Formats: sequence, C-alpha cells, structure tokens
Amino acid sequence: MSRETLTVNFWRIVQLVAILALWQWGWTLRQKGVWVIPQVIDPYFISTPSEIAKRFLELGCFTDRNGQWLLSTDGAFTACMNHYPNNLWAATYVTMKNTFWGFVVGSLTGVMAGLALGRSEMLTKIYQPYIVALNSIPRIALVPLIILIFGLGDMSKIMTAWVTVFFVVFFNTFEGARSVDRDHIAAANLLGASRWQVLKTVVMPSTLGWVFASLTPAVSFSLIGVIVGEFIGTERGLGKLIVEAQARAESADMMVAIFVLMVVGIILALGIGRIQRYLLRWQPHYQDRG
Amino acid sequence: MSQAVATPSTTTTPARIVVDAASKIYGAGASRIAAVDRVSFDIHEGEFVALLGPSGCGKSTLLNMVAGLIAISDGDIRIDGESVAYQRANPKVGYVFQRDTTFPWRTVSDNIGYGLELAGVSREDRLTRVHEAIAFAKLDGFADHFPLTLSGGMRQRVALMRTLITRPQILLMDEPFGALDTHTKLEMHKVLLEVWERERQTVLFVTHDLGEALTLADRILVMSARPGRLKESFSVDFKRPRDAVALPETKEYAEAFSHIWHSLGEEFRRGAAA
Repeated sequence: MSRETLTVNFWRIVQLVAILALWQWGWTLRQKGVWVIPQVIDPYFISTPSEIAKRFLELGCFTDRNGQWLLSTDGAFTACMNHYPNNLWAATYVTMKNTFWGFVVGSLTGVMAGLALGRSEMLTKIYQPYIVALNSIPRIALVPLIILIFGLGDMSKIMTAWVTVFFVVFFNTFEGARSVDRDHIAAANLLGASRWQVLKTVVMPSTLGWVFASLTPAVSFSLIGVIVGEFIGTERGLGKLIVEAQARAESADMMVAIFVLMVVGIILALGIGRIQRYLLRWQPHYQDRG
Repeated sequence: MSQAVATPSTTTTPARIVVDAASKIYGAGASRIAAVDRVSFDIHEGEFVALLGPSGCGKSTLLNMVAGLIAISDGDIRIDGESVAYQRANPKVGYVFQRDTTFPWRTVSDNIGYGLELAGVSREDRLTRVHEAIAFAKLDGFADHFPLTLSGGMRQRVALMRTLITRPQILLMDEPFGALDTHTKLEMHKVLLEVWERERQTVLFVTHDLGEALTLADRILVMSARPGRLKESFSVDFKRPRDAVALPETKEYAEAFSHIWHSLGEEFRRGAAA
C-alpha cells in the first residue's frame, strides 16, 4: 500500500468510527446537556447502530429475540424463516430478483429502441413527440396504475422498474448510435460489410460506451422502481419491510432494510462495473487500471 | 528483381479506371460551386498515379467519387468498364483514409482480419494471413493490443494492412500519410513501395506533398483549385524498385522536383490569393 492510500484509508476509518460513535452515544450526551447535538439524533427516529445490528441479526433469523444463535440449534433457522414469510432473506431475494429483471428488460428494450431510432432519421421524426411526451410523465406516478393492471406480484415491480430504466438507457443509446464515426461506417462499407454487419461490428461496439454510461444509474433506477412498487402494494420485499416497520414506528427495522438496500445497490453496481471494464477494455482509461 | 525496372507510363495496358468528364457540383444558381469540374483521365493496369494539388482543390472529392463514397453530379467514372455506383462497395477496390479509421474496439489482429471476417474466411486461414500481415507491417508483439495504445504511425500501418489483406487490385488512397511526421512517413513509403512492387496494384494516391508523389508514383496529375480541374500531367520515370530514403538525394529527383514545383507554384499562388 502506498503512503497515499494509507492516509486515505486512515481518514476514512476515522470518519466512520466518529459517525458511528456519535450515532450510538450522541443522544445520551445531549441529555447530559451537550446541546450542540441536534434533536434528530433521537433513537426514536434513527435508532442506534447497536440496535440496528441486533435487529439485523433477528430479522435475518441469525438470532432469536433473546440474542440466542439460531444457526447452532438444529432446525431453528428454518423454523424462523418459515415463521416470517417476509424475512430479511426472502425480502432481499425478491427485491433483488425484481430489480435484476426490471434492469435487464429495461436496458435491453432501451438499447434496441435507441439503436433503431439512432440509426433511422425517419423513425426519429415519427416518434420524437411521443418520446418527449412519455418522458415527461414522472414514472412513479404510473406505479398505482401498474399495480392495478399487473397485481401485487412480481410482474408489477418488474414493470415499474422497466418504465424507470427504459428512458435512461434509451436516450444514451440513441445519442451513442447517432454519434458513430461516419468514417468507421464508410471503412466497413468499403470492406464489403452489409447493413447488418455494419450494425453488429461498428454501430453496436461503438455505442457500447454510451450504453454503459447509463447502466450504473439504470441499476439505481431499477431499485428505486421496485422499492416504490413495494411501498404501494406487495406481499414481499424490502420495500414492504420498510412500510411495515414504519407503521409500527420501528426505526431500527427500517434502518436494517435501508442498510441491506445499500449493500444490494453496491453489489449490483460493482457487477456492472466489472462487465463494463471487460467490454470496454479497448478504451485507454480502462487499460490503465489493468 | 531485374524485371522490376520501371516501365514508362505510356505502356498500352488496358485502362482500369476511366474518369470521363466527371464533375461534382454543390449548390445551385448563384451559389453553385464546381468542386470537381469535368475532369478526365485514365489509369492503366498496375499504374501508380498520384493526384496532387493544394488543399480544397477537389482531389479528395474526386477520389471519393471513384470509391463511390460521393455521388457523381455529371460525367462518368468506370472501373473495369463498369460505372461506379454510389455507395456500393467493389470488392476489387481497397480504400485507405487519411484519418485514423482503425476500429478502437478491435485488437490489431482483429482490425487487420476484419475484411476477411466479413467475407466469411475461416478463422484458421484468417489467422495465418493476419499473422503474415502483422509480420510484414512490423507490428510483431502488438497483435493483441488495442489501437488507442499505439502510435499514429502504427495505427496507420494497421489500417493499411486491413485494406491490403483482402488483396484489392485497385487501391484508392486519400492522403493516407498526411497526418504523420516525416520519419514515420518515410517508413510508410517503404512499406507501401514494397507491397506495390510485389503486387502491382493499380493505385490512385491523393496527396498535397510533391516529394511523396515523386517517391511513389509513375505519373503525377496536378489539379488546380476552384474550380477543381486537371491542370497538367507529369510522368515520373525513376527506376524501380525505388528506395524511399535514397531517392530524394538523387539529381534526377531534384530536377523533377523543381520542374513540377514550378507548375505547382503558379497554383499555390492562385490558391493563396483566392
């Protein structure tokens, strides 16, 4: 580790510890008269790290209410899982699954529409007003309608994620497809490439950089779509966990779900990053990092 | 290589490229501009012709009409007796751009093998031929590199090999070495001369560099600026094979240079005044 990364890591850890410590003991200090600490630190609102960790272990069926480890007891873990259909594991799985499919379907259709319109002046002219109009609708406003149509199950969440993801990917792909180097296309044509070959070997790879620039935000959008869908109507998922905990004013449970969502977001973004680094390895700034 | 002594350009081999009163007109009425104005010339089988002129004289436009990249406004251009169709690739014709047009997302070997891939050549044959081309272009060790990590000269060698590997009988080149420094340019001349002296393609080479035209060509066509017309034609009778480095030092080269320079000089003065 170089001196610089050492310094960076040192300050990162100091910050983290400071924030967690303030979160954990700040309220006690305030009550002892340290008035600079704001009201919002009240554990009723944001819980405390230790309480969140405790609830995390409980909701995840790692421990029972008394802090007994369930994993060491035969069948206790499974029993706990079965007792809570929307336990942390099931909720995370459902949310991740719907986020993934919403992302995949939204990105694929976004790329296809972007390529089609980006390579055709005619289609662009025909569809432009519709795209502007549809893009002006706040996607979240559609969620109740989507749930009405597709029900409380997974399909409505995937559809919500799809409408939030589609335009992000579409606009980037569209710009990318329009900005393909004309000389690259001419070079391919002169070497005998057919229309389809030009699309496959020139337009698509050259647009890929633009597509990927939109995929990281698209993952976040997909997650947002799914969570909002779960807020409004569902049987399972992390969004459901949050609304239920809110109804019971259990901030620790909400924090657990938020924490898991953060981890899910990080994992999905890292996955995209890996694929991106491989597929765009020809771009010099990806080669520097090896 | 005793038979490689240059044959004068007046041989009676059949014309492969016929440019017949070709024009390119932009605009209409008062803003009508003839970028290329009724230009006619023939290029014979195996002949290396340089099209020389100041920038903006329409030489690239003319070349692109021959390649089918730009539509012809008036007149006709024929390759092997067949009129050139706009935007239809001719497998006999290879084209080299001035700009770097290597595909950045393909490795050096995938760039060079691109034309073969399109033609459906088997992977095995492709690799053999790509390997030869890489060795010839002195790109050994760079087969798996991506173009953006290479120098401009190396990238242009990749682009040249990408065109040459499909064995085009006719080569159209649009100031292919225009963006390179003198040293790299000389290297490229060596490579091109070696290929040409072996395969004797029919070449139309656009350039604004008289020295380059003298080193490479059998015949130099000088174009005038606005309207783009053919002004003069000079045949270049230096012995072949030519040495791109030694040739410019010879007395004949110096004489030919100053002779054509004089003709160009008038053109450059006119061009600068315009």
